[in-house]
Formats: sequence, structure tokens, C-alpha cells
Amino acid sequence: MTDTPSPLEIHDLTVSYQRKPVLYGIDLVVGEGSLVGVIGPNGAGKSTLIKSIMGMIPHNGGWVKIFGKPPGKSCSRVGYVPQRESVDWDFPVSVLDVVLMGRYNHAGWFRRVGKKDRRIACECLEKVNMLPFADRQIGKLSGGQQQRVFLARALAQESDLYLMDEPFAGVDAVTEKAIIEVLRELKSQGKSLVVVHHDLSTAREYFDQLVLLNMRLIAVGKVEDTFTRDLLQKTYGGRLTIFTEVADQSAGIREYDKERRSVSSME
Amino acid sequence: MNAIYSNPIPSRGWCIPLVPFALGCIALFALPAHGEQIGGTNDGLLERSLRFLSLSDGSVRMVVMGTLLMGFGCGIMGGHIVTRRLSLFGDTLSHAVLPGVAVGFLWSQSKDSWAILIGATLAGFLGVALISMIRKTTRIRQDSALGLVLSGFYALGICMLTRIQKMEFGNQSGIDKYLFGQVVGLSESDLWTMLLSCALILLLSVFLYKEMLVTGFDSDFARSIGLPVELLQYLLWLLLAFSVITSLQVVGVVLVSALLVIPAATASLMTEKMDRLLFCSALLGCAAGVIGSFISFLGSHLPTGPLIVLVSAAFFLVTLLFHPRTGLLPQWLSSRGSDRRILRENTLKAAYQELEAMDFKQEIVPVSQLARRRRISMPQAYREVESLVTKKFATIHSPAGDASLSLQPVLLSLTPKGWETACRIVRNHRLWELYLTNEARYAPDHVHEDAEKIEHVLGEETVRRIERILSNPRRDPHGKLIPSQQDIDRGFVA
Amino acid sequence: MKEPFIRDFDPIDTFVTPWATAADAAWNGQIVLMGFLVCLSCGLVGAFIVVRRLALMGDAISHGILPGLALAFIVMQSRALLPMFFGACLAGLLCSACIEWLQRKSILKPDAALGLTFTSFFALGVLLISLHGSNAHIDPDCLLYGEIGLIPLAENLSIAGFDIGSRPLISMLAITILVILALTIFYRQLLVSSFDLTLAKTLGLRINLIHFGLMLLLALTIVSAFEAVGVILVVSMLIFPSVTAAFFFTRMPVILLCSIPLSVIYSCGGFFLARWLDCSIAGAMVVVAFLCFVCAWVIGSQGGPLQRAPHLRRVVAES
Repeated sequence: MTDTPSPLEIHDLTVSYQRKPVLYGIDLVVGEGSLVGVIGPNGAGKSTLIKSIMGMIPHNGGWVKIFGKPPGKSCSRVGYVPQRESVDWDFPVSVLDVVLMGRYNHAGWFRRVGKKDRRIACECLEKVNMLPFADRQIGKLSGGQQQRVFLARALAQESDLYLMDEPFAGVDAVTEKAIIEVLRELKSQGKSLVVVHHDLSTAREYFDQLVLLNMRLIAVGKVEDTFTRDLLQKTYGGRLTIFTEVADQSAGIREYDKERRSVSSME
Repeated sequence: MNAIYSNPIPSRGWCIPLVPFALGCIALFALPAHGEQIGGTNDGLLERSLRFLSLSDGSVRMVVMGTLLMGFGCGIMGGHIVTRRLSLFGDTLSHAVLPGVAVGFLWSQSKDSWAILIGATLAGFLGVALISMIRKTTRIRQDSALGLVLSGFYALGICMLTRIQKMEFGNQSGIDKYLFGQVVGLSESDLWTMLLSCALILLLSVFLYKEMLVTGFDSDFARSIGLPVELLQYLLWLLLAFSVITSLQVVGVVLVSALLVIPAATASLMTEKMDRLLFCSALLGCAAGVIGSFISFLGSHLPTGPLIVLVSAAFFLVTLLFHPRTGLLPQWLSSRGSDRRILRENTLKAAYQELEAMDFKQEIVPVSQLARRRRISMPQAYREVESLVTKKFATIHSPAGDASLSLQPVLLSLTPKGWETACRIVRNHRLWELYLTNEARYAPDHVHEDAEKIEHVLGEETVRRIERILSNPRRDPHGKLIPSQQDIDRGFVA
Repeated sequence: MKEPFIRDFDPIDTFVTPWATAADAAWNGQIVLMGFLVCLSCGLVGAFIVVRRLALMGDAISHGILPGLALAFIVMQSRALLPMFFGACLAGLLCSACIEWLQRKSILKPDAALGLTFTSFFALGVLLISLHGSNAHIDPDCLLYGEIGLIPLAENLSIAGFDIGSRPLISMLAITILVILALTIFYRQLLVSSFDLTLAKTLGLRINLIHFGLMLLLALTIVSAFEAVGVILVVSMLIFPSVTAAFFFTRMPVILLCSIPLSVIYSCGGFFLARWLDCSIAGAMVVVAFLCFVCAWVIGSQGGPLQRAPHLRRVVAES
């Protein structure tokens, strides 16, 4: 172990939603200044991974450490970009208000955001070319513009670790390019980024490390090592269907148990 | 960039006008109050209004205070819950507190507002907790869950209240006033409770403004920056319960939810900023409270609660119809205006095409030709031509005087202004066709429909850019001349 | 001596006395029968209302009928059945139309539009009643929780000289039969359009007509039931039966059939509970319904707290 704890360390993380298992035994270490893409098929638990790292979903086993501390203790060092669908776009806030939210943990409770925060927010908006829209209601932007605002908010947080849930979903090509440029710039400043991504065709070009995920960790490592036909087949292909089937069956075992017991008691 | 952050958004500036309001409240409290029946005497309308407006009457002061505080508290809480799509939670909560009211009453054996407040708050919390439990453990949808808790708790409350009324001490209690409310029954301690709940609500909205904003907009993000989202949510429920319970005795169970929803919904039509929305909503609530109680004071048998709600609904209706930006009437007018403009432009275009068909040798067009080209009936064509004439786009010449009755053909000639507009439209249309065929690789027979729509909205700037891209073309894909700026200036096409 | 809040349970007074004499039995029988009919017709319509996520629309309509009732009374100056019925239906439909129009045309959120409209309608109704209510004999409290205990007192309806029974009872019976008929005839259309709107459209069904028909049926049921259980408790009768049944069964026909035994339980249970505690009968019926719901929630096979205990981790660990 080195002296400085790594930005993100996950050990044997297991999560299940109600009765259905979603993630099994995930081990992951993200180093400083790395741009990590998380890819996998629908329902593979990509968003769940991000949310359980943030501590929003309780996990059944394992632990998560962010800069050597449990998730709740290091909020100010983590920036989170949620999925676009999770937000109420009709809410009466302007673009600048949204970006200022990124400064809230710097301002503290009961205090209002100051001039300096406002300046930083404007600079972040400028970086994603959204400053002219600062006064507009957030719902009156296009999908790509909304995603840029989210990115600006993450920038305003001035965190060291960023967790992004599908920042490229439903955005136009220009925005996609703008976003990836900002991500690379952050990386060059020594920040670490974990980005959930759904598009295999661009994954190779965007990231320098990949996490292949399908309920359990298939592979993790440099793009050259992980973006192979074999591993992708394993992530997206049919071999794992048995695994999920077993999981589904195990959810039904209880019913089966009950029946068997009632049968045996009759005998 | 400087302009934006040197102009700070007044995130707490809106609370400044509240200072006189608070001072007024204190002044009203300081004045001596008498428990007179309001509206008891048979004065004239003017005397009654004077009595109300001068606030000389103790009971009037009580009523005004009560409705002001109620409107204020419900307005702000309503602003919070309406923007979070929780309007119907307010409704559910106002019904769910009823068993708590009954228990509080039983416990204290009197209409003591503190016991009832505590009981009702507990019942309200139980209701909200039950809703979230149902949501978490079953597949029952939100609306059904709300309905279940609302009616179940309400029925329990009704059972208890009817039972209390049949008991000895229940009869003279006036506990049934909780169903419909009665502003006259307000006591001074009720007012103190209301003032306290309003103060708490004000504190929440001012000091936790940014926390409430971020949890309402994006609760996942709020959680990620370490805010205790659940705690804040419960704080919101608590204050909502306070404002509902204190308002119950004024307007009753059902109409409380109206006071929560209507002012906030009206405010949400007016503004898109949270701080302004809360301010407008509180103001509308107060205004509706005072005006409603004023009207009820003027009449003899007018109940206060429904009148307050109806005044507030009237505010909403006016805003919905006439608000300059979101009002339905301004929107309808502007869309009708643009419909008419498009119609005129199409007529002008047809006139141009007729002139073009005659190689611009004549300067007049028979209206019958125009009707044929536009594929409309003659009366319709006359109507369109008339609207051109009133807008000074064209003049008509009729050999026999009266236009519509004569058998002679009516002739139309364009004024310079009409000529310019016609040229502009035709130019837009043909340029756009050319742009689509040359740059976007459309087939020439696919571009007409699109150009029909685009021609009315192309700005001068865009037209110039298209011209530059196409390097000032002269002919459209169908081989027709595109009128140039020079043609427009000259007044004829060469 | 002071009477306690919860009276001592006296089984004979509760269960036997109401049926001791023929007159008592006829009186109380009418009450229980009325309760049963209200529960049944509301439960049947409610099953479709709930699957269409319109549960609170029932709430809205039940409040929205008030100004119609009041206006019909003011215009006719009598409590004649037909104008009141007509006015109430019209107001209910107007209320639902207003809500849908606001939800479509304005930028308001759907829940705000709903909450706003029905409370305004209700306020208008209360105002009209208290303006002219001194001679209307409409008690505002009764509007909220009904007075099923007075059903036997209502005037009798006679056709061609034959006395055929209490007026509200007969009209409720007619509505129940109408509801059953309408639901059997249009069962498939209703089911398809509730489940999958796009499929219904491709099948060529008239979506708007079906929706309007259902709203009309809902308004009719609410108007005839409100006299017995009041505006707000109608809502519970709409929601409780189908939601309770859905804990045990998943198929629509079975859920619909379940509303028969549930209605029996609600009406009889409510009657006896009210008899015991001496409180509002309609309220007691809903309390029974609520208790049934809680029981079903706990023991039902379609997911209650008992069904969701964390067994999975053990199972996974073992495998």
C-alpha cells in the first residue's frame, strides 16, 4: 500500500434490489488520474454500481472506500452526475441555479452562496459553452444542453473523483465531443473519473481503462487488454444467461421450499 | 460574463417585504381583541366595508390576522409541494390528520389547540409513513396509495368524531367545525399557534432555501453532496402538517388542500424561479384570505372558507387566461395573428405568380384568377383580398363601383409595400427549394411542401446566408426566376 | 356516570337486537343492503379506475358533483330525484373534463391541475348550499360522510300505484345492475384500453368514447352512492375492493368477482362495528375495509411484508 489512499477502492461489493440480486462480489481499484469506462448490457447493474458507491443504495456485503474513507465521510471530494431521467425538468430553477448547486457543499448549511461561488459557476458554464443560457429555465434546453449543464455543475464541485451515470445518453454529436474534451482535461489535472457508458463503438476511443460488468465483474484493466472479442462476448453474450437464470431460481427457492415442506408434512 | 454574476439573483431578497407584514402582525396582536360575532349587525354595505377596512373591530382583526397567516403559511408550503409534484399529498395529509384531531380532543377533553396540534401532527406523520410503506413493499401505485390512506384515515376520523358528538362533553365542543371550518371560532391561542407555524415555515424557506431547492430538483445529487434528504423531507412534512392543522379550523378539511394548491399553481404560471414563486404564492394566499373574508363580512350568510378558495380560484383563472407570457388568451391571439399573416402572404404570393404568368406585362390581377390559383371560392377570395386592402398591401379597381355585386371582373393591383412582401415570400420559397435540392440533396419534386411552411418564418439574416452559400442564384430548381433584392427595390422583375 | 369512548362489547346488543323484531330487521336490512350495493357497484367500476391510474379522479368527481346538486336544487326548489341526479352527473363530468383540459392545455403539473379543480368546484358547491341551504335540508356534514342510517326513512318510490321500496335503495339497485351489464358487455374493450392504449388504438377501438363512457359510469355510481356514504368515502369504496383483492389474485375477472364477498364483509362488518361503537355507519364500513386491506397486505401472496423477508442472501451464500 502507498501512503496516499487511492481515490476509489471497492472490495467484494454485493447488492440486491428487494429479492433480485444485481451485483455480486465486485472488486475494483481506481487510481489517480484515470478515466475509467463502465460498460455492460442493459440491466447489468452499471447505475447500481455508481449509486452504491455513493451510498445511495445499501449494499449487502463488501465495502467501498473513497480516498480511504467510507462514502458518507468524503462527500466533498466526490462529484456525481446522475442520469438525466432522474430529475424533474419542470422544477423552477434556472441554469445558473443548477450549476450553483455544485457549490452548495462549499457554502455549508444555512448559508447562501457567495460571489466567489457565483464566479466559479459562471466560469464552469463558460467551459461547456452554456453561459448565454444562464438565466433560462432548465427544462427549456435541449437534451444535450441539459447534459452540459450537469457537467458544468460537476466541474463547479471541484471534486477529485467524478462518478458519471450515462453522460452521453441522448446527446448530439457536438455535445458528446465537448463532454469528452472536458473529461480529458479533468483527467490531465489528475482527477479520477468513472463513467458509465452504453456505446461500445466509442468506448475504445474515449477511455483508457474499462470495467466490463454483467452482474459480476467480467474484466477490468487497460483498454487494450479488456476490449477483446472474447471478453466482450463474455459480457454481452449468452454464456452468462445460466448465471442469471440461477439467480432467478434462487429467488424462487423459498416458494419451492414451502411447497416441499407442506408435501413432506402430508406424507 | 460580468453582467451575470455582478447581478446577484435575489435568493433572499424576497423576504424583505415581509418585514412590514410581520410588524403588522405584531401590531394587530397588541391591539385589544373582543370576541364579538362578526357580521352580526344589519348595517349598510358601505358601513360594513368601513368597519372591516378600518380594523377597528376586535373580531375583524382576529379574522384578518387568521386568514393572513393561513394564506401566508399555506402559500409557501404549497409552493414547495406543488413544485415537487406532491399536490395530492397535501390533500391526503389534510384528511389524514382527522383521527389525530379526535384523539387530541379526547385526551384534553377540550378544544385545546396544543393537544389537537400534537395529535394531528402524529396522525399526519403516520399517514405519510404508511404511504411510503405501501409504496415500498407493494406494487400499488402512487395514486391508489394516496386514495387508500386518505379515505381510510378520514373514515377513522369520522367514526371517532361522530362517537364524540354522541358523548356528553362532545356536544358543545364545536369539534365538527374541523370539517368545514369557521373563522369566527378562532381564539387568540389559535392565532399564536398559527403565528408560530408561519414563523417556522419562514425560517425553513429562508435559511434552508438552497437545501430545499437542491433536494426538490435532484434528490440523487443532493444525497451525493451529503445532504440528509430524508430528514429534510420529514421537516417539510412536519411544517406542511403544521400549516394544514392550523388552517383546518378556518376552512375545513377539504378546502385546506385548495389553499395549498391553488396559489402555488397560480404562481407557477407566473414565474420560473423558485424564490419568486414562493413569494408570489405567499402573496396570493394572503390576498385571497383577506379578500375572501372581506366579501364574507359584507354578506350575511356567506361562509368564509369557500369564499377564500373561490377568490383564489378567480386569481388562478385570470392568470391562466391573461398572463402576458403563459396566458391562453395572449397565446391564442398571437397564434391567430400569425395564421392571418400566413394567409395574407399566401394571397400575395398567388398574386405574384399570376403577374409572373403574364410575364409582368400587366400590373393588375383579376380576383377570379387569384381564386383559381389559390383553389378557393370567390367569396373566400374576396375576403382575403379585403384583408390585403385593409393592411394596405393592395388596391382594388372595380369598373362598376361596388366590388362584390358587379358582374365585371374585379381587378387587384399591389402597392409597393405589397409588392415587396410578395417578392420576399416568393424569394424565400424559391431560395429554400434551391437550398434543399442543391445542399441537402432532395429531389426537386419533394421540396415544395417544406418550402410552403418555411417561407413564412425565414429571417432576413438566414436568407442572406443561404444566398451566400448558393452564390446569389437567379433560378430555382423548377427554372423560375428568383426575385432579387434589386427587383424588390426597383418594383419590377427584369 | 360518564360513558367510555370505547363501549363494552355486548354481543347480544350488537348481533341479535338489530334483527329481533320484523320491523327492526326490515329497517336494518335496508341499511346493510344499501351498503352492499354501494360497495359492489363502486368496487366493480373502481377496479378499472385503479388500473387506469385514475384513483384520484374518483375523488375529484365525487367532490365536483356538489355545485351541480346545489344548482339543481336552487333551480327546481325541490329535492326532486331526476334534476338532482342530472345536475350532479353534469357537474361531475364537467369537473373531469376541466381537469383533463387543464392537464393538456396548461403548463401545470397533472396533480396540481386535479387538486386545483375539484377543490374549487367543492368550494362553489359549499357556498351555494350555504346561500340557499337554510331551506334545502342539505346538511353539509352529511355531504362529507353520508347518512346511511337514514336510508329507510327516505320516501318510497311507487310505480303505477305499487309501492316498490325505498327510493335510494331502488336507484342504487338500478345503477348496480347497469354497472354489471355495462362491464360484462364492454369487458374486453375496457380491459384492452386499460392495459395497452396503443394496442387498443391499432385494434380500432374508440379510446375517447370508452374513456367518456367509464367516466359517465363513475359519475352515475358516485352520484347515487353519495347519499349513503358521502363524497369522500365513495373514493374508498372505489379503491379498497380491487386493491385488496389484488394481493391474492392477479387476473382481472377474479378481482372483479372478489368484490362480491368483500362487499358483504364491508357492509355487515361496518354495520356491526357501528352498532357496537355507536358511530357513523358509513365511516365504520370504510374502517372495516381498511382493516381488510391491512390484513391482505400482511398475508397476501402477491407481495406483503411477510413475502419480502431477506432469504435471498442465505440462498445465494449456500449456492
